[in-house]
Formats: sequence, structure tokens, C-alpha cells
Amino acid sequence: MTSAVASNLFADLLSGPRPSEWDSLREEAEARLARRDLPTTRDEDWKYTDLKALGAITFGPAPRATVDVSGHLLPEMVGNRQVFVNGHHSPHASCASAVPAGVRFLPLSTASEACHALGSVGPTHNQSPFEDLNTARFVDGAVLLVPKNLKVALPLHLLFLTKAETPITVFPRLMVVLERGAELELVEEHHGEGTYLTCPVVEIRVAEGAVLRHERVQRDSDEAFHLGTLKAEVAKGGQYHSRTLSFGARLSRQQPWVRLAESAEATLDGLALLDGAQVADTHSFMLHAEPHARSHQLHKCIVDGHARAVFNGQVLVAPKAQGTDAKQQSRNLLLSETARVDTKPQLEIYADDVKCSHGATVGALDPEELFYLQSRGLNADDARNLLTYGFAADVLTHIPVASLRRALRQLVMARTQAASLGDLA
Amino acid sequence: MLSIKNLTASINGTPVLNGIDLEIRAGETHAIMGPNGSGKSTLGKVLAGHPAYEVTGGEVLFEGQNLFEMEADARARAGIFMGFQHPIEVPGVSNASFLRLAYNKKAEAEGRDELDPLEFDDFIHEKIKVVAMKEEFLDRSLNEGFSGGEKKRNEILQMAVLEPRLAILDELDSGLDIDALRVLGDAVNKLQRADRALLIITHFPRILEIIQPQFVHVLSGGRILKSAGKELALELEERGYDWVLEEAAAGGAR
Repeated sequence: MTSAVASNLFADLLSGPRPSEWDSLREEAEARLARRDLPTTRDEDWKYTDLKALGAITFGPAPRATVDVSGHLLPEMVGNRQVFVNGHHSPHASCASAVPAGVRFLPLSTASEACHALGSVGPTHNQSPFEDLNTARFVDGAVLLVPKNLKVALPLHLLFLTKAETPITVFPRLMVVLERGAELELVEEHHGEGTYLTCPVVEIRVAEGAVLRHERVQRDSDEAFHLGTLKAEVAKGGQYHSRTLSFGARLSRQQPWVRLAESAEATLDGLALLDGAQVADTHSFMLHAEPHARSHQLHKCIVDGHARAVFNGQVLVAPKAQGTDAKQQSRNLLLSETARVDTKPQLEIYADDVKCSHGATVGALDPEELFYLQSRGLNADDARNLLTYGFAADVLTHIPVASLRRALRQLVMARTQAASLGDLA
Repeated sequence: MLSIKNLTASINGTPVLNGIDLEIRAGETHAIMGPNGSGKSTLGKVLAGHPAYEVTGGEVLFEGQNLFEMEADARARAGIFMGFQHPIEVPGVSNASFLRLAYNKKAEAEGRDELDPLEFDDFIHEKIKVVAMKEEFLDRSLNEGFSGGEKKRNEILQMAVLEPRLAILDELDSGLDIDALRVLGDAVNKLQRADRALLIITHFPRILEIIQPQFVHVLSGGRILKSAGKELALELEERGYDWVLEEAAAGGAR
């Protein structure tokens, strides 16, 4: 039964032409979307994140655009970056000359290999509609393939930039494959200006004994909607460590899904710094499918103004996943009376020999901590700002790319009014 | 330097200090001793300006200024330092940059030149020698993951950096082994000067063998029951606190 009355965001977005290639993948996604409407707060999964404002906007397709990327480049990003603007690869802004031989780091549109893996990571059901939207309409993306036993010394950078003069949709896509024993540090950044909907989809395969460290920075515009999906499968003894830092967007949602095989390890750390009427939602799923895997999640939110943070952390330990060690922490700092946090751990444990812990804290700054700093001569405002900065900067301490760490610390200092306190690193 | 007259204070409506009188002059070292719950740590916190305590009566003058007209941070900048029994951990802020920030806030208040990171680096490397702190503790987050002893060492380092007029050290000895106590006690002795006063708050007399006070006061029930010279500490070591309490009761103390 179809309704001719309500305009449906998905139907509108799919009304344009289907981009070339990946036909069967796109058809399946379109078929699933045809049966769906925009989620509402009546859906359990979207209870705290209202998409009404998104449904009220009419989005058009993203035109090619040129952007001055110099402001987004860090000193380390020479010869090791791929840049996408409005979902299209930007060859002039990209530079991959320093990428070691054997590593494939290139736009999907020019890659023939690895593409058979696209759409293969993760469960084949329960896709988010925004993942399906991406699959149905992405125009380009990045492929990154590190061959067996190659340890890449240089961090690789991906910049997804959006420039929207009128409301547009962008569908960044990323496929990362680390072969056995490979190691890589990857930085993925999202920046933009204007009103847009971006639905990035990241697929990751970490083979046996391989190690991927993944820094993710979301600095979308204040009018943007960022609805992202990340799926990672980590094979035996492999490691996937990620840190997602959310600063921008009017409304953002991160949906990381990680499957751990035997003795694999994963870190899913997060920081959201919210103000005004921003909403940042993280719905994570950690699947301990096999024995002796370890996972660690620390999710921090600093919420000011009328902003709202949502965290839903699912951990599923399968019956055969004995010896699982899973830790999850959700820590939230509320800086105003009207800020709000909804946090919920969700542990489902079907094995009996496991170590699982979770905890959630929501609160204001601790008066004892404020007193300690004031007793050292800092006035009340400086003490508050310093503690707020420290709460956030704690997540940045272990970022291995020095210039990125510095840039993010400065950003956090500015956002926590700690800039007047000098260099706190 | 510090003149406390009939000080009373309460927390959540419960009286905890019930009339303290104490005079501390520059160059002096005083020890406040007493059983657990006697109010001795409370006295330190009230002097440092902890917001949870309400001053209900009496007055405290610090170098002629009414202490209770100053917030905790203003008292610190005026020269009061409290070494905490349980120092707070602040992740994300390095120890060195915190020390520099605190140093510069005080320098600014005193109209002295602030130190830039390089100048401060030289300055702090001299200071850590005083407390025998390893350099790596400067780069770590403030007190984060420090052992109890390392935190206390860091408190004395802060004292060395901030050069207070009056240092109140609350249970410096708790969580310290005998060697660390010796190092920090010696450091405090080196920091004592003719224009500085020390107020040592402690349950155990042991620390007073290293930091020797001229005056020892026994606090109980929020009152000073007995004041004497350093020989009182030795007597408490041998006999405990009960006799002081009994003597005070027999002597008709209210």
C-alpha cells in the first residue's frame, strides 16, 4: 500500500538517477528503503533523537565544488591524503605520492580491486536507512588496502569536505582492508559549511594480527545533519582502535558496529562537545562473537546550552565467547540546567566465563575538584574552564599524530573557554 | 600573621568548630593534633575557604585582612596554601602546565613577571629536586594515576612553586612510607623561612620528629583542649589522646 500524501525524504532522495556501478548492491538498498519511512521518536532506536527537522528540509544532489583545503591541512599531511568535496574525489587537493609501495589508497572510481568487498562487512540485515541511502546513491569514496605484514609508518588522511550553497546530500564512502599482520594509522575528518545531510559509511576489515588505529573527527557545520555508519570486522588476534570526536553538526549520529573474532581487540572511544541546540547520538554495537576478545569503550560528552547527548552502548557476548573482557564507560558533564544526556548500556551476555563491566555518570563539575583548583589561586571561572577542558582533553591525550592532537586541543580550549589559561598540554 | 579568634563553623547545620583561638606568627611551626573526627582537618579547610563549611562566628585575620571576605582563590593568591590530604586528579591537564598556570596567577596578583613555558621549565627543574620528584611526573596529567605518596610529593612541589606565607599541610604523612616521609619532611624544613609559617595537621606524632613544631595543639570536639611545646607530641606518642580528653573534662572545660 502506498500513500501519495506525505512526502517521504527517502523517496525524494531516490527519485534522481542511480549512479553507475554496484547495481545489485544499490538495488537491494533501494528495495529496503522503499519499505521505510524516516524514523520517528516512536521507534525505540530513535527515541531520543528527533529527525523531524531533517524531514522538513528539501535536499538536492551535491554538485561538484572546489574548496580551499589549505585551512584543513596539517603539517603531517604531505603526500598521504585523499580529499573528497561534496562526495566527489578532488584530485587537485589530494596527494598520495608518499604512500608506501604496495598500499592502495585511492578513490573508488579508479579502483577495480577490493570493490567486491564493498557492502560485505557487517550483518546482512537491520541496515540503518541512512546506510542504505549511502549505498543507493554514493558517487565516489575511498579504498584503502594495506598488504600483508606491511606496517605503514606514516598516518594516512582522509578529508571529506562539504560545501552547500543550497541544502544538499552527500554520501562519503570508505572501504578499509588490512591484510594479515598489516598496521596502519588512519585519520578521517569531516568538515563542511551550509545546510546538508551527510551519511558516511565506513567498512573495515582487519585480518589476523593486523592493527588499525582510526581517528575520526566530525566538524560539520552547525546546520548539518551527520548520520554515519561504521562497520568493522576484526579477525583473530587483530586490533581495531578508534576514537570519534564530535564537535559539529546540528544533529549527528554515529553507529559503530564491531565484530571481534578470537583474541581480537577493539577500542571505541568517543568525545562529543555540544552547545546551543546540538544533538549528538552514539549507538554502538560490540559483538564478542568468539572467545578471549577484549573491548574497551570510553564515551564522554560535555553538554552545554540546550544541547542533548545520547549514548546507547550494546555489547553482545555470544555463547561461545568465553574469556571475553568487555569494558564500557559513559561519562557525561552537564554545563547548564537545560542540557540533557540519555545514556544506556545494554549488555547481553550468553557466555558464563566473562569479565564485563559498564558504568555511566552524568553530572556537573565536582565541587571538591573546583575547590582544589581555587586553593591554588585559580578563580572560579578559570577552575571550571580548566576542569571542563581536562575532561575533554583526556580523550585527546593519546592521539599519535602530534599536529592533529595540538589542533584538537586548541579547538577544545576554545570551546571550553580555556584559551586564556595558556598552553595546558 | 594568622590570628584566629573564637572561630565557630558548621557543615550542613552541624557544628564542627566550637570556638578556636590560635595565634601564628611568621617563622613559627604549629602542629594541630587530635583524634579522628576532632575537627583538625576541618580547621584547615575552613582557613583555605572550602565552600561546604559555614563560618558561624568569630574572626580570622591573615596579615591584617579579614579572611572571610576572601574567596578560596583570593586567599591562595594572598599567600595561604593548603596541602591536601587527598589531592584531586585532573586528567587532560599536564602537571607542568598546571603548575605554571598556578605560578603565573600568583605572580600576576603580586605584580611580578609571569614565566613563559621555557622560563618555567628551568624554574620547575630546580624545584623538583627539592622534593626528589622524577621528571616524568611533570608531563603526566595532574595527579592522575599518581600513588598516594606521589600525590603528596606533588603537593609539596606546589608549595615550593607557590612560595606561600602560610602553608597548612593536612595529613601530609598519610599514605607515605617512612622514606618518602623523610624526603618530604626534609623538603618542608628546607622551605621553612623566617617570613613563613607552617601549620601541620596530623593524627600521628611521627611526622613531627622530622618537621619539628614549636607549638603543639590538641584539638577535640572542635576545640583546642591543650597547647604546649613540642614535648607534647612525644607525650602523645607514648600515651595516646585519652588522657588529654580526660584532663580537659576534669579541668572543667566546657
